[in-house]
Amino acid sequence: MSLNEIWEAASASPYAPLVSKDNQFAVGFSLLFAAFILTGLFGLNRSLASIVSFGVPASLAFGFGAVFMICAVGVYV
Amino acid sequence: MRSWTAVAAAVGSFILSAPTVAAVPTVQTVLSPKFQPPPVFKNLNLVRTTNLDKGYVRETVNVVVQNVDQQPQSEYYLPFPADVFDHVGALEVRDKKAPDAGRFDVEAVKVGSSSSDVHYYVVNFPEPLAPKAEITLGISYSILSALTPRPAAIQQSDKQFLNYAFSAYAPSAYQTVTQKTKLKLPTTNVPEHTTTEGLKSGADPERQGTTYTYGPYDTAKVAPGTAYPVSVRYEFTKPVITASLLERDLEVSHWGGNLATEERYWLRNNGSRLENQFSRVEWTVSSFQQQPSSAIRELTFPLKPGSVDPYFTDDIGNVSTSRYRPGKPRRDALLELRPRFPIFGGWNYSFRIGWNNNLASFLRQGPAADTYVLKVPFLEGPKVPEGVQYDQVVVRVILPEGAHNVRYETLDQSTSNGLPSSHQIAAEVSPLKTYMDTLGRTVLTLTAEDLTDEARDSQLVVTYEYTLWDGLRKPATITAGLLATFIAAWAVGQIDVSIKKR
Repeated sequence: MSLNEIWEAASASPYAPLVSKDNQFAVGFSLLFAAFILTGLFGLNRSLASIVSFGVPASLAFGFGAVFMICAVGVYV
Repeated sequence: MRSWTAVAAAVGSFILSAPTVAAVPTVQTVLSPKFQPPPVFKNLNLVRTTNLDKGYVRETVNVVVQNVDQQPQSEYYLPFPADVFDHVGALEVRDKKAPDAGRFDVEAVKVGSSSSDVHYYVVNFPEPLAPKAEITLGISYSILSALTPRPAAIQQSDKQFLNYAFSAYAPSAYQTVTQKTKLKLPTTNVPEHTTTEGLKSGADPERQGTTYTYGPYDTAKVAPGTAYPVSVRYEFTKPVITASLLERDLEVSHWGGNLATEERYWLRNNGSRLENQFSRVEWTVSSFQQQPSSAIRELTFPLKPGSVDPYFTDDIGNVSTSRYRPGKPRRDALLELRPRFPIFGGWNYSFRIGWNNNLASFLRQGPAADTYVLKVPFLEGPKVPEGVQYDQVVVRVILPEGAHNVRYETLDQSTSNGLPSSHQIAAEVSPLKTYMDTLGRTVLTLTAEDLTDEARDSQLVVTYEYTLWDGLRKPATITAGLLATFIAAWAVGQIDVSIKKR
């Protein structure tokens, strides 16, 4: 099967990103803001329980938020 | 840790099933210095059409070939003079009666002697030609840098003339019974052309409008390889646009849903040099009157529908003399560039342009899990009536980090797609580290030499595998980094540094 036939066979499934280009800034900003607040809450009480309740969600929000934000400003990673 | 090692190993073992060749296209076979192609074929009729409309030579040769040997034969040798051989681009051979059957396999071979005045391309027929059987070959190619400006230096507003030297007898390794050469010129202003003597009865060449016909000649008794040098000098008051190098990057971003294209040009005008110093006043007057000029004034790049965020910069920075017309939906957009200065003969200009597209128009999810198919133009570039020739084109398809099992093909059509055969496109897969990368992105680099703007419509299809974990690597790395900071902050807080008696 030639590669062009694979392309033709896949005509019904164009690639759709998780977050469309128009929404990248909103999603990225919300996640980074959430990460900022959660980091502040962790800072108030730096205990092991805080790492689980605030640190882990803050890290996840920052990880995904940073990726969406850098895409939103035009560096498509 | 184990999963990281596994991923690293997977990335290291890129498989490239489509033609893998050396990093630079090279002539693979070297023939013995005394090599002569075996006289197993006869050209019954040969018609060569040379098109000089653009700043390079485009030739089409239709030839009826007969096998005159006792055995079936499948290797047909196409000779080219040594000085032309390295500038032959996009050579394509088809069965004229079955053009849809695809192009024949062609290989470049050099005669292993520096004094040899001829080298060959070997055409391999898919099926050997039986004794006495005939086949009609349609051979097309372009010859770059074969047109010389005469005079070599002119005044700024003068007309420019180009000279093309060739042989009235088409180069052939085999006996040719009859042949003729049609020369299509861009103008009727032809101050000089060679008139042959004794090759045929009547005037030679015959002129009809802008077409000059050398022949038909009865060359049954002329030895193969005989040359009869002729030349033609004609008006071409347009730039001879040559890109000594074009680097073209296509960057795929799954997270951003974006295809970013960047092209870096090293342009040169191969036309007549200026005899005197450049006059800004004269240039402004001639621009205002819209007189034809041998300088590059403006370049127009048609971009795919939906192209956004175009930019045009050079070594100094942003060049503000550009205009972008986004075009209606489903219509090509137009990027019109005016270089910082007009580019006269012998002058250079290097610049970069880039733009973005939605990835959905170029990328599809393949039938198999985690497989993606990308279909992009191999070459875009300016669309100008005088044509553009590219000495070397380097296309880099930058796939997302972790993409593996990369395969590619260039699309063949029933007519020439302007690309050389897949043997002559060098391919390489390598990693590239840029923003937010841990392992580096997978880059497919394709290098082709001697292309022209005829390759503008050619398409490149790339398939690759890309798993969910490959996609999550970027956010996961950043997440892990921040989490490590939190844990460190907590751990540091646990250390007792108070001053007291223990």
